[in-house]
Amino acid sequence: MARKLFFLGLILGALTAFFAAAPLSAQQKPPLVVGAIFVGSVNDYGYNRSMKDGLDEMAHAIPGLKLLEAENVPETAESERIMEGMIQQGAKLIFATSFGHQQFAFNLAKTHPDVYFEHAGGWMMSHNFGNFFGATQSAWYPMGVAAGKMTKSNTLGFVVGVPIGYAIGNVNAFEMGARSVNPKAVTRVVVTGGWSDKAKEAAATNALIDQGADVVTMHVDSPATIIQTAESRGVYSIGFQSITAAQLAPKGWITGLGFTWGPFMTGIAKSVIAGTFKPAFVREGLGQMMAIAPFGAAVPPDVRTLVMASADQVEKGFNPFTGPVTDNTGAVRIPAGQSWGGDKMGNFDWYVDGVIGKAK
Amino acid sequence: MNSALLIGVVASSVMSGTSLLYATIGEIVGERAGIVNLGLEGIMLIGAATGFAATALTGDAYLGVAAAALAGTAVNLIFAYLVIGRHANQLATGLTLMFFGLGLSALIGRPFLGTLIAGLPKLRLLGLGIMGNPLLSFDVLVYLAVPAAVLVWWLLFRTTWGLGLRAVGENPVAAVAAGLSPSRLQYQALGLAGLLGGIAGAHLSLAVTMTWAEGMTAGRGFIAIALVIFAKWNPLWAIAGALLFGGAESLQLQLQAAGADVSPFIMNMVPYLLTLAVLIAWGWRSQGAAPAALGRNFVGVE
Repeated sequence: MARKLFFLGLILGALTAFFAAAPLSAQQKPPLVVGAIFVGSVNDYGYNRSMKDGLDEMAHAIPGLKLLEAENVPETAESERIMEGMIQQGAKLIFATSFGHQQFAFNLAKTHPDVYFEHAGGWMMSHNFGNFFGATQSAWYPMGVAAGKMTKSNTLGFVVGVPIGYAIGNVNAFEMGARSVNPKAVTRVVVTGGWSDKAKEAAATNALIDQGADVVTMHVDSPATIIQTAESRGVYSIGFQSITAAQLAPKGWITGLGFTWGPFMTGIAKSVIAGTFKPAFVREGLGQMMAIAPFGAAVPPDVRTLVMASADQVEKGFNPFTGPVTDNTGAVRIPAGQSWGGDKMGNFDWYVDGVIGKAK
Repeated sequence: MNSALLIGVVASSVMSGTSLLYATIGEIVGERAGIVNLGLEGIMLIGAATGFAATALTGDAYLGVAAAALAGTAVNLIFAYLVIGRHANQLATGLTLMFFGLGLSALIGRPFLGTLIAGLPKLRLLGLGIMGNPLLSFDVLVYLAVPAAVLVWWLLFRTTWGLGLRAVGENPVAAVAAGLSPSRLQYQALGLAGLLGGIAGAHLSLAVTMTWAEGMTAGRGFIAIALVIFAKWNPLWAIAGALLFGGAESLQLQLQAAGADVSPFIMNMVPYLLTLAVLIAWGWRSQGAAPAALGRNFVGVE
């Protein structure tokens, strides 16, 4: 009797083990599990969309790669819990895509030395923590060229969410690009005080148009409201963040500047799989992490050629912030013979000559 | 001040003041019946999301407004049941409603993020189109905002229904003695408040921005609650309050666009500083105007 029970047990045990093991062997283990958190929704035609597009490109390039994603992750300790959950599910690489996620991702990097982190826009580094962003400012120069050629009123409008150094630098490069083809072009700036206050963005766009702007562009999280408002008022718009925003303005779309994170993210994922991950402070511009969106129907061929030529120059290393550069009070900010590059790009607290607005 | 600036400020104040006005008069109706609803922000968000979703689905922005009004009413009646039927604490329930609205509106609006809509059509009304400026033609909700405030004032101060409603807000025991049903009047008041709050949200998503974005009311529900005190619980004063706040917001944006020599950080504080200043200046005078039983749950007569 005891022997019979013993054999029965043995058979049952073997069966259990077989069925338990079966799903594992049938389903191949993914080469890498990647976690990604977004501060907003990926359907924003903006920043979060660009991140999502990059991640999808990475997932497509590495067969079997498993992607864990979480949208609307606030820039609080909540983000740390969400990333921790992703690590519990096997994530070995985490993309923390919003500026305010930095500290929380960095905390986790310390407690999980075997997990790799990439943060967008920050500065922190450790053996398993790198950061990346687009070199946006110089890439804004060709946008200014486009705006400067398209404007009839010589007045360009720029809606800024929060006037941080990077955003001010974007405005400056935009105005310098416009001036390079249209010496009369001025850029009026309106600050809304938040990255995503839609009603104020609409009012700000209207205010700029009321003051004569016939080309409107922006640095906020999602360009949708501003582009739609410009379109309904019959003026041109230039997008920022994601290159998919053209469909918001079938008539007034000129072009736009978007992030293309795919190749970088793919490279990082491959380095984690190969065990060769090296933390780095990566800032790449046009041709790498930034791209110019397709032109709208309203843009004539000569303008397109001019914009692409200017983009080509920027890709080849042209730096608009080469002295002498004066601010809009007439003071020389970058003396002749000097230039501002990578590390100084977040330091702008002044607008170049031709920008109408106060930086602080 | 050049004329472009003037017309711009007028057009944009009216646009940003409209949703505030609907929200404020809605809150006034509820508070006149003795109930504070701190969840107004949530009601506006639900109105904004539902209105946008209905517009995107049907292609008709007027249906969107109707859907927003219905949704606002329905959700505010849940609040009404909790505070009237279950005697829940009004402040705590209101704040919960705010977060509920934030979540529910995100859920409703999710499939419609980035959807394109035509928005509420702009109408040129007789007389108002005379200036010939396309900037001074507005959507129907703008034209109806002031009449709505007057209507609510008339309902509250010139009808028996309004007298009973105000009696409930001042002294529910006396209202019962007069043969009124406080809870029925409060349900009606909160239903109307929800309807107006839903319309307030719909104006933001259907006319001002033509976009749905999560949390897009950005605190306007709370500004409206502050405006109730400014307006001394009178819908006619609410017109001035909504225009003042809307005007301050659009003036600062217009001044920035015009190149005023003031820091944008200070500019963006102006509407809120103004609200604070007005509340400080009017606060003590408003004390007497508040409904006496405001915020207290009526649990019946011994």
